[in-house]
Amino acid sequence: MRYSRLTWEHFSNASSAGVLTGTDVARAAAGSAADGTWVQFDIRAKRRGFAAALIIEARFQAFGCPHTIAVADWLAGRAAGRSAELRLPEPVGALQQLFGMPVEKLGRLFVLEDAWVGAVQALLKKQENA
Amino acid sequence: MTMPVYLDSAATTPTDPRVAAVMTRILRSADEYGNPASSTHEYGDRASELVDAARERVAASVGATTADVVWTSGATEANNLAIFGVTAYYANQGRHIITARTEHKAVIDPCWELERRGWRVTWLIPGPDGIVAADQVEAALEDDTILVSLMQVNNEIGVIQDTRAIAAVCAQHDGARLHVDAAQSIGKVPVDFGASGADLMSLSAHKAYGPKGVGALLVSQRRGVRLEARQFGGGQERGLRSGTLAPHQLAGMATAFTLASQELPKEAQRIGALRRRLWDGLAALGGVLRNGTEQGTVPQLLNVSFEDVEGEALLASVSELIAVSSGSACTSSSNEPSYVLRALGRSDRLAESSLRFGLGRFTHEADIDQAITAVGNAVKRLRKISGQCATAA
Repeated sequence: MRYSRLTWEHFSNASSAGVLTGTDVARAAAGSAADGTWVQFDIRAKRRGFAAALIIEARFQAFGCPHTIAVADWLAGRAAGRSAELRLPEPVGALQQLFGMPVEKLGRLFVLEDAWVGAVQALLKKQENA
Repeated sequence: MTMPVYLDSAATTPTDPRVAAVMTRILRSADEYGNPASSTHEYGDRASELVDAARERVAASVGATTADVVWTSGATEANNLAIFGVTAYYANQGRHIITARTEHKAVIDPCWELERRGWRVTWLIPGPDGIVAADQVEAALEDDTILVSLMQVNNEIGVIQDTRAIAAVCAQHDGARLHVDAAQSIGKVPVDFGASGADLMSLSAHKAYGPKGVGALLVSQRRGVRLEARQFGGGQERGLRSGTLAPHQLAGMATAFTLASQELPKEAQRIGALRRRLWDGLAALGGVLRNGTEQGTVPQLLNVSFEDVEGEALLASVSELIAVSSGSACTSSSNEPSYVLRALGRSDRLAESSLRFGLGRFTHEADIDQAITAVGNAVKRLRKISGQCATAA
């Protein structure tokens, strides 16, 4: 299979792969390795009063195809400085086009979305309870 | 661009320069380009002599007689001709055939088509080692079984079937003919059609350093096997396979088969050592499962599954350095994990994370070391990204 340049860059480098530690880190995962795709995001953010929290850094772990790893790396790598919102920075359809993902892989983007939104939810809950 | 190390010899092999030289000489010849069927002039006679010589050499290299050889475009056509040809000819004697789940698609698809047409097909499931036991065949035989079709060397894991034992079982049955797909056999195991007890055998040139687009079906004349033609036209090949023969292709196949036969013992030893080196290097990674065994498989093939690694990501990671096949669903046209590995009991996940290494005549130690390094780096990196394996660095 041929991959787009963006996919290949993020798959082969994956500089945002890893985990974050600390009590201020929120984590969520989605999918399963048994089903072929599993993604986990760690997010660290700081509170901003009534405004949405500001993401300081994010990391991911993933068991999946090159597209899955590339999109996870892209999301985690661009997260710093963004508001923690309960949605992906780009809609699933836009990500599919951006990375040139075959349509049959769309489900993997939903796994990524679930993991990302789950991590933000966990972050918001953590900050509510703090 | 630097080409990756070629380790996919079960898919095809590079044409041996000695084969290419023979073919080129014929293609450039000023007096050997005739139609072998043209018996009215010298050009045709010379082309016909090339065909006859090729037939003799191919027959000699596989223990057949020249009368057994029916030229085809390759093993797929040979398998189709055998399966459809025999079942059509003997249809009034029975409508049951036996094959295995782990056969090549060129056997499975014709059998599916026969099922669609109302034939009964028994699909044998081999043991975890990939072996179809002769007593499995014996138990599956029915009164109206007219064909058993099994491969000699499996194209995914390299397991060698005991086709002689299966032939002996078929010989006890009144009417079950044995077709052996030997596309992967030439140059890997000794092939003796006459002594094998098989009634039909499919051959391919390009799996044995010959050209693509040529093969043969051996049809035992001594055993009186008959089949109906599937292709009509000029009546070539005793009417079984019409179409103008290509002398340069046939001479190429004959040269390739002769070389394969001559070099088999030496190559088996050398390539066997390379495979052991490859397996030792990969096994050291941990979480590596061998699909097939050391014994009972051809040395040219090594098929392994990698735990905690996604198949497509693994193949993508290594593809710039080594050319191998994968059991990954996303890399094959069938869009499903290797049915052979699944039939052998591997999970979908492990079938998808498998790599098939095909070693060959032009594989060297440095190629193996490059493969070990490439796969090792990829597996460690992907396990680290997934965070799922304790052995990840």
